[in-house]
Amino acid sequence: MTPAERRYMSSDELRAVGSVAWRKDGVAKVTGAEQYAPDIALSRMWYARVLRSPHAHARITRIDTSVAEALGAVCLTFADIPKVKYNERIVSTPPHLYRDRYVLADKARHVGEAVAAVAAPTEALAEKALRAIKVDYEPLQTILNAEDSMRSGAEPIHASVRLGDAEIPIENNVAVTRSIQVGDIDKGFAESEFVIEREFTTHPIYHAQMETKSVVCRPEPDEAITVWATAQSIHNVRQLLGEIYSIPLHKVNVRRVALGGTFGSSIQVNSVIPICVGLALRALRPVKLVSTREEDMYDHVRYPTNIRLRLGLKRDGTLVAGHMRAIVDIGAHNIQAFPFLGVLAGFWASLYRLPHMKYEGRAVYTNRTPSCAMQGFGAPQVTFAVESLMDEIAHELGMDPIDLKLKNYVGLGGTFWGHGPTVQSIVRSDGVPELVGLGAKKIGWKERPRPGSQTGRYRRGIGMARGFHTSGVGHPKATGAEMIDYSGAFVKINEDGSVDVVQSLMDHGGGTLEAIAKIVADELGVPLEKVGLSPVDTRTTVYDVTTHATRGVYAGGAAAQKAARKAKAILLDYASRLLGVLPEALVIEPDVRLGQGVIHCPSLADRRITVGAVAKACQVNSWGTIAAVESLRQVNCPPAYVTYFVEVEVDTDTGNVRTRRAAIGSDCGTVVNPDLAAGQLTGGLSKGAGYALIEDCRWDAQTGELLSRGFWIDGKTPSVSESPLLEDVHTDFAKTYEPSGPFGAKGLGEASTNPCAGAYANALYNALGVRFYELPVTPEKILAALQRKEPAYDARDERRTAVAPAR
Amino acid sequence: MKPRVIHLTVNGEQREVSVSPNDLLLNVIREQEHLTGTKYGCGIGECGGCTVHIDGQPMLSCLVLAVAVDGRAIVTIEGLARNRQLDPVQEAFLDHSAVQCGFCTPGMIMMSRALLNENPRPTEHEVREFLRGCLCRCTGYVSIVRAVLAAAERGAGGEERS
Ligand code: FES
Ligand code: FES
Repeated sequence: MTPAERRYMSSDELRAVGSVAWRKDGVAKVTGAEQYAPDIALSRMWYARVLRSPHAHARITRIDTSVAEALGAVCLTFADIPKVKYNERIVSTPPHLYRDRYVLADKARHVGEAVAAVAAPTEALAEKALRAIKVDYEPLQTILNAEDSMRSGAEPIHASVRLGDAEIPIENNVAVTRSIQVGDIDKGFAESEFVIEREFTTHPIYHAQMETKSVVCRPEPDEAITVWATAQSIHNVRQLLGEIYSIPLHKVNVRRVALGGTFGSSIQVNSVIPICVGLALRALRPVKLVSTREEDMYDHVRYPTNIRLRLGLKRDGTLVAGHMRAIVDIGAHNIQAFPFLGVLAGFWASLYRLPHMKYEGRAVYTNRTPSCAMQGFGAPQVTFAVESLMDEIAHELGMDPIDLKLKNYVGLGGTFWGHGPTVQSIVRSDGVPELVGLGAKKIGWKERPRPGSQTGRYRRGIGMARGFHTSGVGHPKATGAEMIDYSGAFVKINEDGSVDVVQSLMDHGGGTLEAIAKIVADELGVPLEKVGLSPVDTRTTVYDVTTHATRGVYAGGAAAQKAARKAKAILLDYASRLLGVLPEALVIEPDVRLGQGVIHCPSLADRRITVGAVAKACQVNSWGTIAAVESLRQVNCPPAYVTYFVEVEVDTDTGNVRTRRAAIGSDCGTVVNPDLAAGQLTGGLSKGAGYALIEDCRWDAQTGELLSRGFWIDGKTPSVSESPLLEDVHTDFAKTYEPSGPFGAKGLGEASTNPCAGAYANALYNALGVRFYELPVTPEKILAALQRKEPAYDARDERRTAVAPAR
Repeated sequence: MKPRVIHLTVNGEQREVSVSPNDLLLNVIREQEHLTGTKYGCGIGECGGCTVHIDGQPMLSCLVLAVAVDGRAIVTIEGLARNRQLDPVQEAFLDHSAVQCGFCTPGMIMMSRALLNENPRPTEHEVREFLRGCLCRCTGYVSIVRAVLAAAERGAGGEERS
């Protein structure tokens, strides 16, 4: 252990990393002062509304906006927009970016697709104008599932899409396929002594972020635009708008506003952003566009998958071979199908060692709401399948599932595929055994019932699943980069010893920026209160790819640390001039009494000066400002491991499942924000339980409309009633240190939900003796399964013991 | 529709506003009073993000017509803290890290404040029951319930200044 590691593993130091304080944006958030995109209001501002297709699949033959225009509205249709086919998620490198959409649709490909838009002085007038637009549609065959879509003769949803400089044809509605092979599976299965194959289905759910996607655009006098938008990357919004509207980038300024949660739903430049810009450029005045909840629900869902998984093992439980075939319904647009197919393979390969593996993935267009990344990006899906199957295998082989998993998991020294086959790195920190031990103890793993041994009305079961998420997208293999992944930061030391951090990184709310402030504080040796997070925009910051892939703290934090380190070197250099001591002999430490950092030489008691005094001297002597700017790509992509142990109670009369207890363990390396990190885990539990048990998005087979019809309640987002009691939720953190992370930190956010559905499925097996291969495991499915398993089962049989446990 | 002038007390200030008969209180608060702490989450009573107090009672401002509250006293999230002195519920939310993205926070705090006004020492069960209509996608509710119980423990009940 290096001295730095020791320092950050001990808790008795004066340090910001690992401390708990009111978050810097906290007072603004509890007083209602925080500004989110929908809170921006400008003088002369007009309001926009979007006309959306009522058809799931239709040619648009004519749009008449004359009546709307006569009402005083500005209108935008396909005829008015630049004919630039784009992909809204410009995180993949250009050779891997499948572009299939325009600002407004050339053809309606799903219900809710934007067909035209209006802006008017009031929202009421905009709505009136919107209703006055006449659109003639020529309905086409509606295709709502992948199987039908691939059938020969099915109506093509996209005839062709753009990739690089070429227009490539789409056949059988298959957007993209990927095959990945390691070793020789024929040999592997031949060597296997136990082979099992199962099919798993995961469903689409709505992100249900509290803030609906919103945007305000103000055209400036010099043909520039200023934009406030719900976005996970302000720089990608800038670049795409520049490309679509041919505006030089220095004239596209996107300002950071707070995010009302996203969970992946704003990795892409949201479709409302270029629409609003188009309207503002026509109206030549500020325009505001706030999505309604219903519109938002028609915008994106989590990728649904069908996963066929075959595993071969030795009798002793050693995994030998695996074959996975995945079909992914991507909906009407290809937002990130290529990387999605890659991560399904990569996360699978990183759960358990497979000497021989083969993966075949296919992404298919259908006429429903487009699928996009949602917390975990492929990991919740694949982890549900793998963790369910590992549990089943353990029971078949007569092993404890924990033993089987610890025997095979990819841990210290193993190869972790952080983002598909081209991003891999060696695991250098691993808290899995510690977390498994902790969780097992807290939940009472050894005392869990025998599967299916209970007969009463209420049956309890304990389930376990483990997983991870990547921390960032690391460094690509020599074969070429598929993904862009770097952050930048600018750190400036002010004349009173305070510090400005100017970084375009976005915080979804989980505390990313809080972590940045702590990392900078500790790198410089100044108190956390003295570090300010500057309001930023794209003109004044260096690029940051986007807050996704659980990279905020690990990659964004490392970039901020690098900039702070450089600023510190400059600071010490100037201090050395003033103190007459070599910079190497100086250290900086926060001084509580002075409320700022103090530079001193530990061997010479008289050589002391505050950080502020150095900065002031630099100014007074006209030496310059102490500041540094840096960019950084992390080379590693360490797994942020998470383990889940849940105890459920099933009411066999109603099929309802209650979460009795949960023990969630995280290995995020050094815990930068202990309080907010625990909050990530409990949030992950809520979303994970919703995914496992109740949330669903389905579309009417005829009309392609959401069955929820845009009612949030019918999307079944969990409320407080679904969360366990305070004393029944346990969160723990492994004591690990990631050598490549800022002060030993790695990721956390997305990992917090990934294994959850697998843990529920395994707990339900433990309670009922029934395996569920299809999510969500609704009360209906539970009752049907019980009926199948226990033919004598009768939901109203009062002879069964019906003792309701205390609540 | 013909606008009508109504009188409101908003966070203790007398206001005269011209509204259409179909204007929702939520929109009047956000767009005319420029108090954007009250959030639009759904517009139809599903999420609790728009919760304000009307004559001390918690109400969903997206379901209330502005003309229907003529002459009433409205308190929004901006009205809880006075002279930069946070309400104990606001403090408890910060102490217990019950704020992540913060978009549900104003509604949650207004609802929690209303609960403590009517029941200064609620049980955990009562807190959960009361906050059932307020959605939060970030926290999983654990920190929020903890914050409300902590505020109650500190004797925050019945302290609202309006
Ligand atoms: S906006 Fe009023 S309840 Fe959602
Ligand atoms: S803190 Fe984000 S919705 Fe509650």
